[in-house]
Amino acid sequence: MQLLLSDHYRTARQSLERSRLRTFLTMLGVAIGIASITTILALSGGVSKVIGKQVAELGSQVAVVRPHAALPTLADLSNPSPSNAYSTSPLQERDITTLSELPATEAVAPLMTLSGSVRTHESTPNKSTIVATTPSLVKVNNLKISDGQFIDSVTKQNTAVVGTQLSIDLFGTDQSIGSNFLIRGQSFTVIGVLKRQNQPINYNNIDFDQAAIISLESGKLFNGGVAQIQQINVTAKPGTAMSTFSQKIQSSLTKNHDDQKDIDVFTGKEIAKPTSNLFQFISAVMAVVASISLVVGGVGIMNIMLVGVSERTREIGLRKAVGASNMTIASQFLIEALIISGIGGLLGFLGGYFIAFVISLMIPYDPTFSWSIVAWTASLSIGVGALFGLYPAIRAARKNPIESLRRYH
Amino acid sequence: MAAAPATPPVIELRDLKKRFGVGDAEHYALDGVDLTVEKGEFIAIMGPSGCGKTTLLNIIGMLDQSTDGEFLLDGKNVEDIRGGKQASIRAKQIGFIFQSFNLIERLNVLENVALPLTYSGIHHTKRIQRASDVLKSFHLQNREYYMPWQLSGGQTQRVAIARALVSDPSIILADEPTGNLDSKSSHIIMEELSEIHKKGNTILMVTHNPNLTTYATRVITMLDGRIDTDTAEPTKQEPKTVKKRPLSKSAKPPKTKKKPAKRKAKK
Repeated sequence: MQLLLSDHYRTARQSLERSRLRTFLTMLGVAIGIASITTILALSGGVSKVIGKQVAELGSQVAVVRPHAALPTLADLSNPSPSNAYSTSPLQERDITTLSELPATEAVAPLMTLSGSVRTHESTPNKSTIVATTPSLVKVNNLKISDGQFIDSVTKQNTAVVGTQLSIDLFGTDQSIGSNFLIRGQSFTVIGVLKRQNQPINYNNIDFDQAAIISLESGKLFNGGVAQIQQINVTAKPGTAMSTFSQKIQSSLTKNHDDQKDIDVFTGKEIAKPTSNLFQFISAVMAVVASISLVVGGVGIMNIMLVGVSERTREIGLRKAVGASNMTIASQFLIEALIISGIGGLLGFLGGYFIAFVISLMIPYDPTFSWSIVAWTASLSIGVGALFGLYPAIRAARKNPIESLRRYH
Repeated sequence: MAAAPATPPVIELRDLKKRFGVGDAEHYALDGVDLTVEKGEFIAIMGPSGCGKTTLLNIIGMLDQSTDGEFLLDGKNVEDIRGGKQASIRAKQIGFIFQSFNLIERLNVLENVALPLTYSGIHHTKRIQRASDVLKSFHLQNREYYMPWQLSGGQTQRVAIARALVSDPSIILADEPTGNLDSKSSHIIMEELSEIHKKGNTILMVTHNPNLTTYATRVITMLDGRIDTDTAEPTKQEPKTVKKRPLSKSAKPPKTKKKPAKRKAKK
C-alpha cells in the first residue's frame, strides 16, 4: 500500500507536470478560497488576541459594570442604530460610591464618554473621544503617563489629560503640557500626556491615544450636572474571589436601581466577550463567503479531473489491462486531486497570510498565527480535494478497459 | 477436457458465449466456445475479422466478461474471483500485447515497460532494473529514455512486447503482436515469444499471418464465434508439447509437480 502511494504520487506528479498551466489555474481556484479563509481566521484571531491580551494585562481582579444589553441578534447587526446604542445608561453617580464602599473593592473608575468636538483655534482633529472619569482610572486601567500628570482630586476642573495622538493632532507635538484647547467651546489646559497605547480596540471602547480625559465634574457640567456613565471599572483587592465579588456588585447595584436588574457585571474573559462576539460574527459571515469561493475552487478541481479522466481513458484501460484494480485507478486520480487541492491550499495559506499582513498595515491589529488555523485550512483543502476528486476518481475506476483501449484507434 | 481433475488446465472454457447488443441487433461474438489450454502451449488463433478472436482473448484476459458459459483459470471459476483479485492476476500472471501499441505517451520507454510491475507491488528501483533487463533482451537498451513518440513503429511494438513480458507472466495474450512490424522484426519477436514459451509460458496469439503459425504448437481457426479447426485434435501437435516440458521443468522448479501428472493425463 505504501508502495502504491508513492507510485501514485509519482504518477500524479508526472501527469500534473504535463499540463502545468491547467494545474496551476486549478490550484489557484483552491488557493483563493483558502487564502480568504486564512486571512479571515488570522485577522479575527488577531482581534481576539488583542482583547484577550488586554484582559490578561488587567489581571484577574477587574470587574466591568455595563448597562444590561440583550444578546446581539442578526437584526441588531444590520440596524444602523441599535436601540441600546444611544439609550441613557442606568448607571448613576451614586453607584460609584456604592461600589467603592464594598469591602472587597480596591478602586472604582467610571467612564463617561461625551460627544462633541475637541479642537484648538488652528486645528480640528477628526477623531477624538472625550472621557470624563475619576483619578482612579489611571490605576484601574493601568494607564501610563509619558509627560505631566493624570487628573487628580486637586487639579482644576478645566484641565485635561490627552492621548499622544490627540496631542499631535491638536498641537503637532506630543509635548503639549500647558497648551490650551477647546471642548465644546470651553477651554481646557493640558496637564498630562498619556503614553502611546496602540490599543484602539479594547473593552473600554475608547481609544486612549485619541482621548481627552477630563474630570467627572467637568463632564457633568457638559451634561446638565448629571453623570451619564457608560461603564464602571472596578478592581478588587488581591485575593478576592471574583465570582462572589461580581455577585456582590450585581446585588448592591440592583438595590440602588429599585430592584431593577438593569446592569451586567463582567469579569475575566467575559469582559471582552461583546467585542469578540461581534468580530466572531463578522468573521463567520466572511468565512461563509470565503467558503463559497472554496466550493468554486472545488468545482474547478472536479471539472479538470473529469477532463483528465476522459483524456486519459486509454491510459486507464491500459493500466487496468496490466493489472490495476478499480481501487488503484480510483486512488490514483483521487491522489491527483488531493495534490492539486493540497498545494493550492498551501499556496492559499501563504497568500492568505500575505494578504492578512498587508491588511494589517491599514487596521490597528496584527494577524495571529495559530496551529488551529493551519489545521483548519489543511483539513479544508484536503476535504475539498477529496470531496470533489471522488466522483472523477470513481468514474475513472468504472471505465470499461476494452472500450477505453478501443478509443482513439 | 483432456485434463485430469488433479491438474487443472491453465485455461478451460466451456460453452462460452458473448453477446453484444440487444433485440434485433443482438449478435453473438462468441457462440459456444469450448477450449482447453494446457500449461506451456503456444496457440495461434486465426480466422477472419469479426470472428471473435479478440473477444475471446479479452475474456481470457479478464478484461471482459462472458455472457454465458464457464471460464476456469487454473481450475478456478473466474466468476468467483473478486475484481481486485482479478486485477492482481492480470498484473502477475497475464501479459497483454495489443494490436495497437498502447504505450503511455508521457512516460518514457523504461517507465512504460516497468508499468505492470507497479501493480504487483515491486519497488520502484527494482522495477526499473527489471524493465531495463527486458529491454536489453530486445536490444532496446539505448532507447530506455526515449519517449514513445520518438520511436519507430517497430520499436514501439517491441517496447510494448517487452512490457508484456516484464512481469514474467505465465500466460501471454497477444493480439496481432507483429501486425506493425516488418518481417525481419516479426521474426525477432516471434523468436522471443518462442523463447518465452520454452521457459514454460502459455501463449495465446491472434494473428492473420499464416507464416507465424509455425512458431505455435497448436493452431486454432475460428469462424462466426466458434472454433472451426483445432490442430490439438490430431496427434501431430502432441509430441511437440511433450518435448517442451523438460525445459519448462528446469526453468520453473516450483511448478514441476504438476507437469508429470499432466503429461500422463495428456497421453
